[in-house]
Amino acid sequence: MITRSRFIAALGLAGLLVTSVGCTDSLNAGPLVYVDNEALTHELKGKANLAGKPALQAKVRAALARLYGDSPNQIRVPEGSGFPRGGLTLANHRQIGEGESARIEPIQALLPNGSPDPAHRQAGGFALYRRNCLHCHGVSGAGDGPTATFLFPRPRDFRKGVYKFTSTPSGAKPHRDDLTRSIRDGLLGTSMPAFDALMSPSEIEQVVDYVMFLSMRGETELALIEEGSISDEKDADALGDDIVKEIATGVFEKWKSAQSQVMNPSTPRTASDRASVLRGRDLYLGRTKEKLECAGCHGALAKGDGPSFVPVDVFNMVVFGGDPSTRQERVDALDEKLRTLWNQKPDDWGNPLRPTNLNRGVFKGGRRPIDLFWRIAKGINGAQMPAHYPTLNEAQIWDLVNFVLALEHDPDLLASVPPAPAPRLAESGSTR
Amino acid sequence: MRNWSILFGLAALFSVAAFLYAPFAAEWWLPNPPGELHHSVSTLGREIDFLFLIILAITGLVFIGTQVVLVWGAYKFTDQLDQQGKPVRPATYSHGNHRLEVVWTLVPAAILVFIAVYQLGTWARIKYPSRAPKVPPLAEITARQFQWVVRYPGPDGRLNSPDDLILINDLHFVKNKQALIYLKSSDVLHSFFLPYMRVKQDAVPGLTIPVWFDSDRAGSFELACAELCGWGHYKMRGKVVVHETEAEFEKWASNRLAEQNRSQLGMASGAEGY
Ligand code: HEC
Ligand code: HEC
Ligand SMILES: [Cu+2]
Repeated sequence: MITRSRFIAALGLAGLLVTSVGCTDSLNAGPLVYVDNEALTHELKGKANLAGKPALQAKVRAALARLYGDSPNQIRVPEGSGFPRGGLTLANHRQIGEGESARIEPIQALLPNGSPDPAHRQAGGFALYRRNCLHCHGVSGAGDGPTATFLFPRPRDFRKGVYKFTSTPSGAKPHRDDLTRSIRDGLLGTSMPAFDALMSPSEIEQVVDYVMFLSMRGETELALIEEGSISDEKDADALGDDIVKEIATGVFEKWKSAQSQVMNPSTPRTASDRASVLRGRDLYLGRTKEKLECAGCHGALAKGDGPSFVPVDVFNMVVFGGDPSTRQERVDALDEKLRTLWNQKPDDWGNPLRPTNLNRGVFKGGRRPIDLFWRIAKGINGAQMPAHYPTLNEAQIWDLVNFVLALEHDPDLLASVPPAPAPRLAESGSTR
Repeated sequence: MRNWSILFGLAALFSVAAFLYAPFAAEWWLPNPPGELHHSVSTLGREIDFLFLIILAITGLVFIGTQVVLVWGAYKFTDQLDQQGKPVRPATYSHGNHRLEVVWTLVPAAILVFIAVYQLGTWARIKYPSRAPKVPPLAEITARQFQWVVRYPGPDGRLNSPDDLILINDLHFVKNKQALIYLKSSDVLHSFFLPYMRVKQDAVPGLTIPVWFDSDRAGSFELACAELCGWGHYKMRGKVVVHETEAEFEKWASNRLAEQNRSQLGMASGAEGY
């Protein structure tokens, strides 16, 4: 008898364990909330911040909650942001209408007692983001998910609203399709995965919405902090409704206007014959009158080892040579010259940056000629790679594209050129 | 203590029932196309399934036999105590039986040797590089954390030439045609797993391993990584599409190649809103 009741108890325990694992929310370390930007509460050298201004901090938080909702589970789509087109199914809640008259309804089915039905899958941008992206990009899109520390390059911090692989003018917001492409095809050579086989096209669209939402929220937060840093803590009108509205509208407008500024090359790619590749090589090596700096960053052999950046072995030592949390110690141990060079060349997010080795045929932003055209013409935002249009005309950019694409299959293309001494450089520059 | 024997009996019965049910339920049986529960799509898959079923039958029969003896013995010979708590039937001890031991060693050994020898041919047809089909390679597949980079040779039929088509997690081939790929890894161990084609092959850094398979059904299938390769292991899922005809495959490939060669946007994009 005793054995039987014990058996039943064990069965019951096992059952309980299985059901409790089902409710994932119960395993969360804390409530799911957006994390403040560091500049809201901390003194940051050389950056606007609201350290020691509690009244203004509270105003920023209140304004963000009013515009974007209290938490990832209670998202609001701010008026004038330019969503929808599916943009309103951002989270587990769906917003119906805009602004004051907006109603927010749960997408999730509810049990009769009003609590969410756990059997019903969470849907919408946030739910997808939470399942697929959060562990790298973080709850607030700060690029600080639990896996982020172990990755190089680090996952993107969406809050600056700066994106690398765009088809819009240098420095502008990305077009929606640019983000879709990065998510669908991934960023080859980095840990950013391709989601084509993991999500349906409409799911990808929803998650794109959520990425844009996080960027708008982050940019609004930064702009409010900036405005607050020049305001008086005791001024009751500081960061008032009008100012908040103006700031938010400014953010939305930048996103909206970028959508019509995609650069479409007016001439198709030049045929990739030897002559074009060689013209591209001259441009790359700075032997034309434009005196391009490509080789200064990417190196004379395009191995990503140009003199503008610290040597590859030093870079590897600092970035991969130990615990990521002690990286600064390894930087401090460099000699004066290297340290200065190191400090000049982080990316816009403050992370280590390396020019691409162009011989491997691995391009983060895609290998289509149009992708490379955009990279060279528009530069790579936040990553020091400059824009070259209109310094170069379209034909010259196509020559460069052909040259870059040829490198993978022709290792001698650069190795066979003798390093040009300075005087000859000027000479050949005039005889293109 | 008789109850224990009943419990064991029920457990055995449940297991046997589960195995009898499995062949009739898609979720329980081997991965096969919908509606064709017992049709394995690949030639080698059918050989593997046959071996699998032989082993399942042998182990199943042995399982039933041993369970019957076990349950019957446990039921029949449960200890019975008299009023004083002494066993009614004291245990007797025997000191081994040479003939019995020889029999129960030789019979399983013979079965094992049979299985080992019987599968040799299939193993060779699946794994020996010398048995690889003499066809031009479909693609070179490089596993990396955490995706499959699929490089098709393109129009010139040669891999690693400028006209290669490079796709991520996207494997296409033609119905009823042997597909040969070269498997590589650029970081750690991965395992190339096509459950429907019954293919599983580790990708080993530094090695180029030929892998071949086919399918007699067109449609969409799955590619997965079957070697825990890091925290993103579960993300290494790929699409597998089997085309009805060579022409359909060629058309798909040339469309993808045209996209890879795109140098201008087709339509003017940039409508209102996003
Ligand atoms: C394994 C970590 C990881 C996961 C998971 C991940 N990303 Fe990323 N993501 C990255 C990294 C790393 C980068 C930046 C690469 C770089 O800067 O070169 C990035 C960059 C991006 C970018 C910026 C592209 C640009 O042009 O600058 C977007 C957008 C993005 N990720 C969206 C997503 C979305 C949406 C998901 C989920 C569906 C996701 N990511 C999942 C690691 C990840
Ligand atoms: C100031 C330094 C600098 C100069 C000058 C420069 N680049 Fe870059 N380039 C970079 C960096 C840094 C990256 C890597 C960005 C990243 O990985 O996020 C890069 C990346 C690239 C890429 C890879 C894009 C991708 O999708 O991965 C190409 C192609 C490229 N550069 C070509 C050129 C060409 C051609 C020139 C000259 C016309 C040039 N670069 C000039 C710094 C530079
Ligand atoms: Cu893997």
